[in-house]
Amino acid sequence: MGLDRRGFVKFVVGGVAGTLFTPVIWQGLDDAATWSQNWGWIPRLNKGEVKATSALSKLCPTGCAVKVKTVGGLPFAAVGNTENPMSKGGVCPVCAAGAQLMYSPARVKSPMKKVGEGKYEPIKWEDAEAMLVEKLTPLKGQDGKIAAISGDETGSANEVLSAMLAGLGSGGGFHVMPGEMFTATKGVKLMGGNGQPGFDIEGADLVLMIGADALDSWGPTVANQKAFGATRPTGADATAQFIYAGPVLNNTASVCDKFLAVPPTATTAFSLALANQLISAGAVCPASDFGDYKALAAKFTPEEFEKATGLKSEVLKDLVAKIKAAKAPLVIAGASFGQGAGALDFVAGASLNVLLGRVGQKGGMTLLSAAPKAIASAADRENAKDAASFLAQVATGKATPAVLLVYEANPAYALPQAGDMAKAMGNIGFKVSFSTYMDETAAMADLILPAPHPYERFDDAMNPYGVAKPTYLAGKPVIAKPVMDVKDPVDVMLAAAGKLGLSLGFETYADVIKAKAKALGADFDALAAGGIWNGELKGGALSLGAGALAKAAPVKLDGKTVALAPVSKLAYGTDNLATPPANLLVVRDSELLGKDLLVQMNAATAKTLGVTEGNKIKLTAGDGEVKALVHVNEGVAAGTVAMLMGFGRSAWDQFTKGKGDNVYKILTVSDEAGTGLKVWAGSTVTVAKI
Amino acid sequence: MEEKKQCKGCGGALPFVIGFVAALIAGWVLFPDLMYSKKTQPVRFSHKIHQEQGLECAGCHTFRDDGSFAGIPTNEKCAECHSDVQGSDPAEKVYVEQYAKTGKEVPWLIYQYQPDNVIFSHKAHETLECTSCHPDMAKNDTPPVFYQNRLSGYSKQTMKMWKCERCHAENGVSNACHACHK
Amino acid sequence: MHGHVEREFKITWGMVIDLDKCTGCGACMTACQVENNIAPMLDASNKLRTLSWLLVFEMSNKKAAPDAEIAYLPRPCMQCGNPACVPVCPVVATDKNEEGGIVSQIYPRCIGCRYCMAACPYHARYFNWEDPIFPKGMEKALSPNTSTRPRGVVEKCNFCHTRFVQAKDKARQTGGNPDALPDGAYMPACAEVCPTGAISFGDLKNPEHKVHELAKGKNAFRLLEKLELHPQVYYVSKREWVRKLGDNYAATGKPGAEKKHS
Repeated sequence: MGLDRRGFVKFVVGGVAGTLFTPVIWQGLDDAATWSQNWGWIPRLNKGEVKATSALSKLCPTGCAVKVKTVGGLPFAAVGNTENPMSKGGVCPVCAAGAQLMYSPARVKSPMKKVGEGKYEPIKWEDAEAMLVEKLTPLKGQDGKIAAISGDETGSANEVLSAMLAGLGSGGGFHVMPGEMFTATKGVKLMGGNGQPGFDIEGADLVLMIGADALDSWGPTVANQKAFGATRPTGADATAQFIYAGPVLNNTASVCDKFLAVPPTATTAFSLALANQLISAGAVCPASDFGDYKALAAKFTPEEFEKATGLKSEVLKDLVAKIKAAKAPLVIAGASFGQGAGALDFVAGASLNVLLGRVGQKGGMTLLSAAPKAIASAADRENAKDAASFLAQVATGKATPAVLLVYEANPAYALPQAGDMAKAMGNIGFKVSFSTYMDETAAMADLILPAPHPYERFDDAMNPYGVAKPTYLAGKPVIAKPVMDVKDPVDVMLAAAGKLGLSLGFETYADVIKAKAKALGADFDALAAGGIWNGELKGGALSLGAGALAKAAPVKLDGKTVALAPVSKLAYGTDNLATPPANLLVVRDSELLGKDLLVQMNAATAKTLGVTEGNKIKLTAGDGEVKALVHVNEGVAAGTVAMLMGFGRSAWDQFTKGKGDNVYKILTVSDEAGTGLKVWAGSTVTVAKI
Repeated sequence: MEEKKQCKGCGGALPFVIGFVAALIAGWVLFPDLMYSKKTQPVRFSHKIHQEQGLECAGCHTFRDDGSFAGIPTNEKCAECHSDVQGSDPAEKVYVEQYAKTGKEVPWLIYQYQPDNVIFSHKAHETLECTSCHPDMAKNDTPPVFYQNRLSGYSKQTMKMWKCERCHAENGVSNACHACHK
Repeated sequence: MHGHVEREFKITWGMVIDLDKCTGCGACMTACQVENNIAPMLDASNKLRTLSWLLVFEMSNKKAAPDAEIAYLPRPCMQCGNPACVPVCPVVATDKNEEGGIVSQIYPRCIGCRYCMAACPYHARYFNWEDPIFPKGMEKALSPNTSTRPRGVVEKCNFCHTRFVQAKDKARQTGGNPDALPDGAYMPACAEVCPTGAISFGDLKNPEHKVHELAKGKNAFRLLEKLELHPQVYYVSKREWVRKLGDNYAATGKPGAEKKHS
């Protein structure tokens, strides 16, 4: 029997009808719906046990005591360590982005050798280490031929670096990136004292911050923020007053009871005018130079104060009344961006603590004596030489190192007159960068030796600047194996020293840190588990620094010149770290728009300069210039333009490269009268519309 | 008219019935076979043998201290006993040599795999019998074949959203999105 | 089925943010990005494209120097008692019917029509204009707590709901009561990391939780209260100008307040 057309149609209809009684269509549709939700092109989550491991996250300058959360062993977040008094559960915005930074596209993935301008090729570690030894061998015993710049203020790595240089005959070659820690310690010397100054915010009932952005980017930020928070229980009365005197209504000033807009050029004048009023109101102090100090301060009359700061002298009277009423007032003096202030601004501010009898008191200014060293031949921290002066010498041929070792520092980007500094670095024959990230300095080095991320290494932090009591933190790796082909820089240096016949008594950085902990009487294992070592809160005899202050010279401004106030916001990164990927979104569109940075000034300043909101302008100082857009912000002091730091990167990653401009290019260095220090906090710039 | 004549007597409803039955067979017998690929577990794990050794289910399928469920144990747990070959079963040798010694985790096929956007708390469902959702594995000597849907990629046994929702509704538990999704 | 009947819950998770303590440091935003797997964007200054479940606004008293003041206002999803976004969703991809009162959402069901975004007066909802592309390797640092969402889906803060589930599990494991978690047992990422402790979080109805009292404080307020959406997020500030800005359309009854940072 043949199948005709009608029979076939019947068959098909039967087939379709039958199919309706099978799962084919229904399940097919259901599966298709499920399939449509698979989204295979977006990343999958990681599975496994969630754990939290203590770590020392030195991504921010102070270093945060964190708990790193891992899933199946992979770090994914960092939170504060509630057990550690430096954190009390808080974490800074940079360290909060730590897990993602481990996979930053800017990470140096393996050792690299320069093979041409801007061109690098990966090499093996053994070749890289051999190259380092080969370059150092002929320089052994020649003074001044090997130099090092460290950007780490607190690590024992500095002991290894300086001791290694000393052992190789270049003892004077060790330099540090300029940080307030060093100028403030020099300031203490000018006041006849000894030690690193500390500030007990926790114990104070009035905190006057002159310049120091203590609640965002100055000192142990998280500890400061915690101390601040503790004095303001939500829904109850505040137990301490916070006053900020500085050039910009910054994050710190935003929560202060009072903000006094003081141009960066008038910091010393502000402090001394306040001293004058305090003395008039009856303040006396047993310091031997009180007479001289009083005479000096008397020159800073309310009229002078008004002229220098643009503020009404009533604010001074109000401030004096508040200080007089306070039981435990504390003055924190510093540069609003943590460096370049010179010693005199510090001395002027710190002298107020002496005047008020607040040195060594609870809630006052303290002095931290030098910590015992792990390596005896290492340089003393308080005698550290600064990298800016060193590179200035290189530029003029006064210093002629053949090899420069750069450890956790970014001098090509983060020194004043950045253009000149980068040029000076070019004069050095062989530059080695020990860096976790491809920063501007690594991008001009001849050899890049990748350093581990904080979760991949041993590290420590001795007395981060600003802490009131001697403080020591240490950490060990969170993950078993680094995600990139890295080696600890200290291990590399110790091995290189060994090959050059120099033994420093240690083979690894871990051993150095353990020895450091032992020298302090601390237990390394407890520290690595998230603990802390603290010494006693101490003071010391200090003068008012009248002799040094007498030499302070005022800054002159003319019509087209304005004071430059660099603004540091920790979330946007540091000298050593471009804005982390997880923080990009925190930057406001009133600060960075596309590739343009916005500089901020108040309406009166804008009018004087003949510019308006959105104008493209050029800021010039020395050989440097930066371009930016104008944003009118009433929170900027008179005659001042504020510019964010941390932008204008020329290396790093696709997220930060070429965004905005680098304020360091227009910070100009001058010699501080009387101290011989290089200063740039009072830099001035010329503004022109383009 | 001519066509009609020609067709007379040729089959009546028969082609329809044949088509209908063929479709039923194809849909119920052949289709599932075609729709799913069959996979076997990388290691022939015998629940039966482990149970005979006196191990409790919860000895390996544990709750962690934070209340999360460990699910299938990792090498860390397995290697407590199997860091070296113990018995004569070839499957154990496969495990020890390919996984325990190399540190590689066994890529077990998960019968109840759920996507990333699903969050399921075993702890919240602890009062239910495991077997109300999972097959009873206690007596199982060879792991069941893993049927993977060729289109959706999920296992045949994976529980669908409607099942979760029905049980929640019947028991007066919230069916808010976030009750099960993240 | 959704609509104007406001449901009562025994537990109402709420936030009280002390604006006098917020320094605008950004740690909360970073922690939020990390917890919720938001991919970095090439141009994060394009605020029409970014995804900020928690956004810290900068507010100004609009006075000239030297009387200028600023304050920062972190804005999560308000988890409204009477949410505007829920009834407008045509596919029931968002709802509010779970104990705790968190407005929940299911991403695979969202069709990206963005009605909810238009409805939300707090701009708390965000549309994925791009797929979540992480730099190579960074997907290894994804948080297990939030699934990744593709282009075309709307998303928002959910008070880190996964942590709520985890806190209940922990309570069950340790003999606690998952329906009466102690203060602090469940804490969103932003509240957890905030270095000044500006963000308090807890059950607004539980007298043992700090937020219970804080939300009733004399300086406590909610944003745009006159809309009667009954947010579960409260703010506290002693500064009058800040409190006024919290309902900045209320003075005139019409929009037109000056544009703030987006």
